[in-house]
Amino acid sequence: MEFVRISRDAWGQEVLEGISWDLLPLAFALGALVIIGHAIYRLINKSRRI
Amino acid sequence: MSAIVADRIERHAAVDRVFHWISAVSVLALLATGLLPVVGLKFPWVLVHWISGIVLTLAVLVHLLRSLSLAKLCSIWIRWRDLRGARAGKYTLAQKLMHHALSLAVLVTIATGLPMLARIDTPFWERDPYLFAASTWGVIYVLHGLASLLTLTLAMIHIYFSLLPEKRMYLRAMWHGWITRAELPAEHDPARWPGPQR
Repeated sequence: MEFVRISRDAWGQEVLEGISWDLLPLAFALGALVIIGHAIYRLINKSRRI
Repeated sequence: MSAIVADRIERHAAVDRVFHWISAVSVLALLATGLLPVVGLKFPWVLVHWISGIVLTLAVLVHLLRSLSLAKLCSIWIRWRDLRGARAGKYTLAQKLMHHALSLAVLVTIATGLPMLARIDTPFWERDPYLFAASTWGVIYVLHGLASLLTLTLAMIHIYFSLLPEKRMYLRAMWHGWITRAELPAEHDPARWPGPQR
């Protein structure tokens, strides 16, 4: 997986374009992981209290 | 009725609530216009993106100016007792951490987004893509992208926690401004933050 996007200019030199958009699903998955993890933790805690 | 009102503690002044919701709408608009085209949803996003960016910048400036008081800075500062699990003052440790992380992400997007305005034509200025060297633009774009993705992750978590039943009082406080005296001791120490009465 690439972390940055790199292109070449008219003189053949490498130019940094920005972050790789492969990181977008990763950021989304990280958020989803925290949410799902906390929801499971909450569910287990709730059933323990009953 | 007056007993109900006396039971309420003001948590957020109207101006702070307006700031929060303006920031929320502009951040969501910026994330949608910045990231949806990446996943293939093509639409004319640039206009909404830069206008939302300026709205967010102005909102953050007003918030920064309003926050420049010792009491307000202390209320959001992470203290040793927060880390030891003591009951919170006005803000819980989780709220402070979320505030600081989102502040960092939003400030970086603003600091890198403002120079990017030079690269687009608007009714107020003409584009100047040569303001910086190509390598500098690269760094600006990398930082803008990283901060945007951090904002996406944090916004998802922030919205999730705000919708939990046990945290609903904070969402109501951000909408109506108040929490009740009965809700306070669950997570807050009334001695650390009694709050002004309404």
